[in-house]
Amino acid sequence: MWHSRMLVASLVGAFLFGAAGTAGAYHTRFVANNCNYAAPTPTPYITRDGSAAVALRARHEGYQWAGGCWNDNDRDDSPNDPTSDPSTDGEGGDCSGFTFKVWRESLNESDAGFQQWGMLRDVHGPYTASRFRSGHGAPNITVFKSAVTKMDALASESHIGMIYATNADGTDQIIEAKGEAYGTNIWTRTYRGDSSYGGVRRTGWSS
Amino acid sequence: MDELPNAFGRKLVPIAGLLAAALTGATSFVVAGSAIAQRGAESTSLLIDATHSPPLLTAPGEHVELNYDAVCIDQEVEDAEASCAVEGWVFRRAGTKGEFLKLALERVGPSGSRLSARVPEAIARSRTGFSYYAEIEAVSGTAVMTLPAGGAVAPHRSLPLERTVEVDLGKHRFDEPTRPDERVASAAWGTGPNDAGLEQGRNLAPTGASAFDVDPSGTVILLDQAHRRVLRWRKGSALPTRVPVAIAGTLADMSLASDGTIYVLESVSRAGATPLVRRFDSYGRRLGSTEIAERTSSQIRQGPAGALVLQQPSSQWMPVAAGGAPIEPEGQRQSGRSGRPLREGGEVIVLRRGNEIRVALTAPGGTRRSWRLASDTALAEVQLAEPMGQRLVLVVRVFTDGEDEFEVLVLDDEGIVARFSLDDADWAEAAPLGRFRLVGHSLYQLGSTPAGAFVDRYDLEVR
Repeated sequence: MWHSRMLVASLVGAFLFGAAGTAGAYHTRFVANNCNYAAPTPTPYITRDGSAAVALRARHEGYQWAGGCWNDNDRDDSPNDPTSDPSTDGEGGDCSGFTFKVWRESLNESDAGFQQWGMLRDVHGPYTASRFRSGHGAPNITVFKSAVTKMDALASESHIGMIYATNADGTDQIIEAKGEAYGTNIWTRTYRGDSSYGGVRRTGWSS
Repeated sequence: MDELPNAFGRKLVPIAGLLAAALTGATSFVVAGSAIAQRGAESTSLLIDATHSPPLLTAPGEHVELNYDAVCIDQEVEDAEASCAVEGWVFRRAGTKGEFLKLALERVGPSGSRLSARVPEAIARSRTGFSYYAEIEAVSGTAVMTLPAGGAVAPHRSLPLERTVEVDLGKHRFDEPTRPDERVASAAWGTGPNDAGLEQGRNLAPTGASAFDVDPSGTVILLDQAHRRVLRWRKGSALPTRVPVAIAGTLADMSLASDGTIYVLESVSRAGATPLVRRFDSYGRRLGSTEIAERTSSQIRQGPAGALVLQQPSSQWMPVAAGGAPIEPEGQRQSGRSGRPLREGGEVIVLRRGNEIRVALTAPGGTRRSWRLASDTALAEVQLAEPMGQRLVLVVRVFTDGEDEFEVLVLDDEGIVARFSLDDADWAEAAPLGRFRLVGHSLYQLGSTPAGAFVDRYDLEVR
């Protein structure tokens, strides 16, 4: 099922890539005008609640495929980017870039330590959703979905979102960078039970 | 909506609305609370958000704790770990009448953001249950959040399980999905007049045909959000008619009122606002829209007086329309309820915790009937809990790390009357709790494959 999903996603992407050439002026140059490449600050620990606070500051910001830079003004500063063009230079992370920064991971995959990245630091990190799903990188492990808890993640081959809360009806509130039309926010999802998703945990939480 | 003076204000206000009391610095018994709120002119840099899973149904002798996960952010501090500390209080009372008594929440864990209070036995064991709400604020006293947002006017309600039927579901077998009695609607993915569309987006998982509903005559309507329309199949018709609707074109839930009004619950909101509920007549003409009260929603359904939305973080059903007229966010907050009001009267309350589900049908005096189901296989979301005559129909997703199915249970006072499994059929992402509807004695399932979307019917009275 994953493969068929990715096939359709690729076909849609190919179609859009063709369409992008005819789009109007969409390059907001958000990254060039706002973002930086400052070194991260090593931090001795991270709590799940602190991680949630990092994530909350990205709410209502944009989504940028392969991106990882956003401000905190509660709007997408580069809306309606053609979804297939990775060079639109727009605001926001994609799903895996967002997770990478919220989990304070390192560019060095063998480093499980914590790195605080500024919101305006443009960094995506080395992990795709698929690589998170399979537990790549020293900080990341796979866990049973029935065991995932706040700020753990549920990941498929093409998407990853973090658990913000679990609802009484068994759904989860997921904080995620969903897509260009969605941006970054908290939504109710049913990823937990969906067999295309697996559980992923950032190790080393202080609580 | 007017522009607010600063960016952080925009984050706070539209999500749940500022309290009038907040502006005056009132500290307790805030009535129209908000999911994320602030008070005091100096507090513009602080944000509080909290989540809480209410113990909606309690078992006899069970110790009851109220736990809150709070996050306080200081806009001026980039390192979130060094952000503002929180404290809080819970206001609780036995039953639904009388004064609320204030109890301090204790900080739990090293982050200091988890707050907890044990409900005194005398209140937890009350035959009429208990009601409560919490106020959580920054230690600096400059930001406060009330949860649920309606505070004392619309508190959480916890009821004891009574006349409970215990059901042991055992271990689920994943190899026996049931075939439908009839496929009542189907649409291939595509751009043709009878096709359903998939949303477009790089790396976006397949998302399309995100909701459906069925009227008493058996007419099926499917929300084809990517094409901004609904597809309507009259009973027995192989091809749909098309009804354009002015929606956002992203994942949404939908509910059909008895007068034919179509309610669409959007999931994506414009900057500085909460998601909209849009209303259309059966021809797709716009009847209006209203924002929901809270930042996140789970589903929209029809109650006895109109449409209801299950909203988060309050975890309450809030009316968004009554008698065809919209209800604004303030009115929604003041009418929040823990259970979903039913058209036939009373409410249904659902709680899934771990591998256990508790369901109760209630009347004004308390619990009428309840079920407590335990499973050896992990349980995910409860997709549907609806009375069917003297019985209850429950649809829950069961899962392992490699498989999932929906389990359909027909329950009565003795236990399980009928039980069968359905394929998850969820190739395309849909509204989180939009996959099932019960109409009369027929259960309808919205499903999808790489070929398209469909609606199947399962007749429950013959099983």
